[in-house]
Amino acid sequence: MSKVKFFMAQSWLLIVAALLFGVLLAGAQTGLDPFIKANEQKKLSDSMALLITDAKTFELAAQDVEVPMGKKTVLSKVYKGVTESGDIAGFAFVAEGAGFADKIKLVIATDPTFTNYMGYKVMFSNETPGFGDKIKNDYYSQQYIGAPIQRLELTKAGDNLVIDERIVAISGATVSSDAVIKIFNTFGRKVKSQLQTKGVIQ
Amino acid sequence: MSQTATPALGPTFTAGLWKENPVLRLLLGMCPTLAVTAALKPAITMGGCVIFVLICSNIVVSLMRNLLKPHLRILMFTLTIATFVTIADLILKAFVPDMSAALGPYVPLIIVNCIIICRAEACASKNGLVVSVVDAIGMGLGFTLTLSVLASIREILSTGKLLEVSVMPSGFVPWAAMGMPVGAFITLGLILGLVNIITKKAS
Repeated sequence: MSKVKFFMAQSWLLIVAALLFGVLLAGAQTGLDPFIKANEQKKLSDSMALLITDAKTFELAAQDVEVPMGKKTVLSKVYKGVTESGDIAGFAFVAEGAGFADKIKLVIATDPTFTNYMGYKVMFSNETPGFGDKIKNDYYSQQYIGAPIQRLELTKAGDNLVIDERIVAISGATVSSDAVIKIFNTFGRKVKSQLQTKGVIQ
Repeated sequence: MSQTATPALGPTFTAGLWKENPVLRLLLGMCPTLAVTAALKPAITMGGCVIFVLICSNIVVSLMRNLLKPHLRILMFTLTIATFVTIADLILKAFVPDMSAALGPYVPLIIVNCIIICRAEACASKNGLVVSVVDAIGMGLGFTLTLSVLASIREILSTGKLLEVSVMPSGFVPWAAMGMPVGAFITLGLILGLVNIITKKAS
């Protein structure tokens, strides 16, 4: 028996099954994707409302904001929260980066002048339960509320109630803590400079 | 794969509930058993996902059992299970996003859950469609019921509530440890000990 015939005799079921399962997965993804996207959009809206509490509505302030991440460039959308009287209450954008186990996706909010952060909410993460997933907890996330939009640094010891550019890491989850800081450092100032270029902020 | 005598459906179904309960008797699926039983709702969701994946993978494995090459069977089982776990994960993300977020990586981890590959190997690859489906339902229900019992005990003791409804007297002080990993190990250990006592007495 030739090598090709032997290969086909051994593996035809695997090849057929892989093709069929691929089609099944593609169908499931196509059918369920609108629901998943709608859920993500709702989560984004809810997160922005929790971060920028004075905002009555959220409008798209700029799209295709380019943020270089290593060799690739990520396009981000920036939303502005508008108060009842029509003033800008703050800006929010989605940012992502590599975490310990999977990517981490955050919604980051800033004040109207893009001087200080107003905090973040986790949109997606698969960090280790009990350790890395503490990036969702107040102990860690509240250190970002009021932190300046400049290069943030991770410190293993310090007072987490002091709001400045130094962020106290989560004990036992330094990689996840550092991942959040890297996301802020990658996106924060880049988004600000892009918005200045586009004339959205001064 | 060789054919064996067709097992009776009744004992096949009930085996998963007690005699061959995957958690209490075979000690399979320990990772989700310990990880998602801090509350009843995620435990039931995990059980539902496992039942769905078990039924689908057992159907597919049973249908292709006569075509399986012995040295490729584990690869075929894994491919089948991974497909249905991905679909279960997508369904959760689409229709129960909060539960999907709460379960986190434990839904994709069903791919490496020993219960499913065990049933594919021990039952579906040797039996017809009906027996394989009945086995999947019995094993899945056994897994879900065990998780539910564990989760109920832990949720009640750690919060005083069950499905967010207060069930303990007003003076009850919650045992926070029961909601943590230590609570999972202690509860599972005590239940396993109880099952061993009951089994010994019965025999």
